[in-house]
Amino acid sequence: MPYHEFECSTCIPERKQHAVVKAPGEDLTSCLPLGYLNTIPGSISERGCAYCGAKHVIGTPMKDVIHISHGPIGCTYDTWQTKRYISDNGNFQLRYTFATDVREKHIVFGAEKLLKQNIIEAFKAHPDIKRMTIYQTCATALIGDDIDAIAGEVMEEMPDVDIFVCNSPGFAGPSQSGGHHKINIAWVNNKVGTVEPEITSDYVINYVGEYNIQGDQEVMLDFFKRMGIQVLSTFTGNGKYDDLRAMHRAHLNVLECARSAEYICNELRVRYGIPRLDIDGFGFEPLSASLRKIGLFFGIEDRAQAIIDEETRKWKPALDWYKERLKGKKVCLWPGGSKLWHWANVIEEEMGVRVVSVYTKFGHQGDMEKGIARCSEGALAIDDPNELEGLEALERLKPDVIFTGKRPGEVAKKVGVPYLNAHAYHNGPYKGYEGWVRFARDIYNAIYSPIHQLASLDISKDPIPTSHGFMTPEMISDAGLDEAVRASDVLRPYTGKADIITPLREKTDYPEFPRRQSAAE
Amino acid sequence: MTDMTKDRVEQLIDYIMKKCLWQFHSRNWDRERQNKGILGMTTALLCDEPVDIEDPKERCYWVDAVVLADAYRTRYPWINTLSKDEIRELMAALHARLDHLTITGSLNAELTDKNY
Repeated sequence: MPYHEFECSTCIPERKQHAVVKAPGEDLTSCLPLGYLNTIPGSISERGCAYCGAKHVIGTPMKDVIHISHGPIGCTYDTWQTKRYISDNGNFQLRYTFATDVREKHIVFGAEKLLKQNIIEAFKAHPDIKRMTIYQTCATALIGDDIDAIAGEVMEEMPDVDIFVCNSPGFAGPSQSGGHHKINIAWVNNKVGTVEPEITSDYVINYVGEYNIQGDQEVMLDFFKRMGIQVLSTFTGNGKYDDLRAMHRAHLNVLECARSAEYICNELRVRYGIPRLDIDGFGFEPLSASLRKIGLFFGIEDRAQAIIDEETRKWKPALDWYKERLKGKKVCLWPGGSKLWHWANVIEEEMGVRVVSVYTKFGHQGDMEKGIARCSEGALAIDDPNELEGLEALERLKPDVIFTGKRPGEVAKKVGVPYLNAHAYHNGPYKGYEGWVRFARDIYNAIYSPIHQLASLDISKDPIPTSHGFMTPEMISDAGLDEAVRASDVLRPYTGKADIITPLREKTDYPEFPRRQSAAE
Repeated sequence: MTDMTKDRVEQLIDYIMKKCLWQFHSRNWDRERQNKGILGMTTALLCDEPVDIEDPKERCYWVDAVVLADAYRTRYPWINTLSKDEIRELMAALHARLDHLTITGSLNAELTDKNY
């Protein structure tokens, strides 16, 4: 096994089995780190907790819901507004966060009364919102508060409201991934099948494991609408609570983030016979293949192909402009879970960069299998790294850019490595064809930003150049380019608007496809 | 297995590993079903044989198989020169190799978990 031992972790020998190098000749039967295990004592992990995984990742992107944490206010504060899962209803789920504000006296005397009071108060404060999710936290789980009973009492007293209870306290798993699992299963057990939807198309899908980061879901929704597909529900970005209660009526589950949402797809397959189709919404080729597969499933491949042709024609010249300028740049691909495999191969093929390392904070071995299978030889794969290991890897690998979350990202910036936010994005959306170009644009801007010419200087000792100005990004990136590429009248940089989501929300000219007579009746 | 067959199997495996996701479901039994379903359909398509896709589950295998068979024909033109028997033999070797990499030889400790 080609384990990699970090010098900083020799004092924690168990860590050795959590990092491998994909050396020549290695495959998945010899090269796979351990994963989804409790963090080793002494290793300062960057993980979230199971409560965070349930609420922050999966529950809260639902847009027409009061999301309330039953616990100390810090739990909900730390899961508030740190991801950009926007919605088309004014971002209710981002603007408001709710906690029962449990304190020491409640730990002693119980917090059920407090919970009920908070639920009623929240519904009264937002009379237009009739749906609620409640999240258990460590404190209230340990004192044994019966949230289900309280939710049941409130629903009896207020028959127009519906409440979902998620029992995933912070200690309920090694990482946030434990919370993903718990909320998936709780939702399918308690809510799926409790609403019957209106079916408006012959082609009906659930779009699962999609969280509408900076509008990703809305970009994909546009493609589905152009194909005449009804998206019954999105689990859960920009999704509606009642739509998600009707998931059992879809013909196909289209799954993006298998790490966070494969559980519900698997259960829907077993319980309702709905097939699961894993797709990639990132990158021209994977997205095209994904749209084509969905089209094939419903016998409307021509509609998918029309979108693929139109979008590729429109955006490929811009993607290639960046590819020419990003060739050979070294990338540390250090996201949370699924993006390490969504992106590992396609950024090499379509943007010309080289992935020198993949890591995951909370992924399972299955995610590492996908990531290692997709990345090139020589890549360093790390499970649940601590901050010192991250720094040591940056020192050793000397990447040109790092794609990660904001905590390790800010650390990387301090050692002079540009960082892009892989979770919440910089200037997304990144899904879709235009989105993928925006990602390339953001990578380009991160690597070639003039700020590095100043930021890398130590003003306490380095001489500050005053005789010349800063070089622009193009002066740096184009210096070694062939003249034919530099002067190409086909390739062009991205010039789209900052906000590409509002026009999608205002769009109404979708094609109308006649339904099959038998189905319509 | 000849060196040429081995080499060809590795080319086909490399494509699956880099471009596909269906082979990495989370449990052994699920991976067995996925590999068998999709590679079986792919073999039939490459051999121009009919496939039964009435059942939604089979149809889901079929869509992955169509895209895989098309990619194989385009990226590896040598596959178009093989007889049906040679394709069946090659795909059987591919299936065995994929099962080894993702199931029987896998180091993924979660694969034997009985629950999802």
